[in-house]
Amino acid sequence: MKKRLTRISLIFFLVAAFHPCALAGGMFGPPQTISRIAGGLNTSIGYRYHTDTYKNHYHHKMKQNVIYSQVAWGMSGIWEVYGRLGFADMRMPDMFLYGPSVVDNYEKDFRDTWHFMGTAGAKVFYPVNRFFGLGAFIQGSFNPGKYTDETILHDNGSPILAKLKIKNMWDINFGGGLQFTLPYDIRTYAGPFVYFARADARMSHNIPGLPFGTEKTFLKNKSPGGGYFGADIPLIRGFRLNIEGQYTSRFSAGAAISYVY
Amino acid sequence: MKHSLCLVAIFAWLALFCAPASGAVSGDGKTAYAANTAAEPAMAQMPDPTDESAYDDDDDYDYDDEPFGEERVTISDPLEPVNRIAHVFNDRMYFWVLKPAAVAYKAVAPEPVRISVKNLYSHLGYPARFLSCLLQTDFTGAAEETGRFVINTLWGIGGLMDPAAGENINLEKQDTDLGETLGVYGVGHGFYIVWPVFGPSSPRDSASFIDSHLLYPTSYFCPWYVSTALTALEYVNSASLRIGEYESLVGAAIDPYVAMRNAYVQYRMKSVQARQARSLLFKEETAGPPEVKEAEDEN
Repeated sequence: MKKRLTRISLIFFLVAAFHPCALAGGMFGPPQTISRIAGGLNTSIGYRYHTDTYKNHYHHKMKQNVIYSQVAWGMSGIWEVYGRLGFADMRMPDMFLYGPSVVDNYEKDFRDTWHFMGTAGAKVFYPVNRFFGLGAFIQGSFNPGKYTDETILHDNGSPILAKLKIKNMWDINFGGGLQFTLPYDIRTYAGPFVYFARADARMSHNIPGLPFGTEKTFLKNKSPGGGYFGADIPLIRGFRLNIEGQYTSRFSAGAAISYVY
Repeated sequence: MKHSLCLVAIFAWLALFCAPASGAVSGDGKTAYAANTAAEPAMAQMPDPTDESAYDDDDDYDYDDEPFGEERVTISDPLEPVNRIAHVFNDRMYFWVLKPAAVAYKAVAPEPVRISVKNLYSHLGYPARFLSCLLQTDFTGAAEETGRFVINTLWGIGGLMDPAAGENINLEKQDTDLGETLGVYGVGHGFYIVWPVFGPSSPRDSASFIDSHLLYPTSYFCPWYVSTALTALEYVNSASLRIGEYESLVGAAIDPYVAMRNAYVQYRMKSVQARQARSLLFKEETAGPPEVKEAEDEN
């Protein structure tokens, strides 16, 4: 049974880590699994406000609200694999301000509603002593949804309906962390991470001055890495609260409530 | 329209055949159910424990015949010949169709998967259980059911797991239905029916078809065969987790039909009593005033 679980976990990890269209960000959580030592599930629901800066010819601010449900399997207090399913919206302020001016009364921001997303990850932990330990993780997400918005732009004096699609958003994160366990099993943690985030953007028309066209354009993260910190606090009846902040080029924060089986 | 007709028909049936359990709660606080034993051949052959002439024992024992015996509950069975045919049909269905399917399913689906499927179906039964709790004035039960639903939806992977039943949270599933709700209000069983495929029931308990259909989400899946397939999966999954139980019951019985009937009536009676004990309206009646009990004990 143990062997089978190990195999399943390994396959899950490899698929999560190397699937070509896999995976993107979210909360990383404490380096040490919260599952029982003997092995077991923990499940979470979470919310995260994610902001980042993407770049092609210009820098584009991106803001997302993400809600998700997570299932994790951890063992021995040293390793865990997890998967998340959730939904994320998107807003990129002033996206249509570059190049020709937007016709009055039309939206300058790019925004779209909730789309499905998935995340997978794995973490390992080395306890140095009862209170302190080191960990490492890999986590990736993929958002298969096509975020679409449109506006009306001036093109040589005549208005034109321009539609922008952003799709195939993915990211992959690698990081390490230090964990300090306080009284009442409150776990605080912090660490650095590097990440790669990519997305494809395509415009319905080639409009001079705009950083997008009918050809596919890549958007990628401006900052190569960042730092994260958080706390995991036991609540009542097997529930725990995890709060976490991340800083790359912009600040993101989230919270999750977990239940340990 | 179809649902309305079904409802009218079932309520008409209930009104005709399910006599309100007049004096349903006897002086000792126990429920007295319809006791028509004429249609029970196996039980009719046994000597009546209240008839002293039936025993030729010379010794004059001065003790209760069944000091720890359970309350004897019976149900009238005017449809026994038809019921026996339906029982045989269900028996064959079990051994020829359901059990082989369940064994095959068990071979391919590991137990955790089957338990998760069971949890999911149970999760979908929340609306019916919640409504029954409300109708029974068991508001604590309704709140527990809602708590279970929320927790299992959010932290139980949409109902596949059941963290609410774990030792930490310990919210019990309120396993009740419309038939028990009617029982709580004093509606008697009526008579015994064995429905083909669905098994033992009574006119009162057949009311459970209403909530198990109208308030069960899989009933609304389209096209019809998807809904049917999901129901079949529920039966097979449930049977795969209980292979051997039915065999034990019928294997140990002289007359499996009577054994099933008695087991069913006992089970439903205990369920109704348990529900009455939780009902705001009826729990006082079920418990009985303690001072009266004490006085009776002294006498």
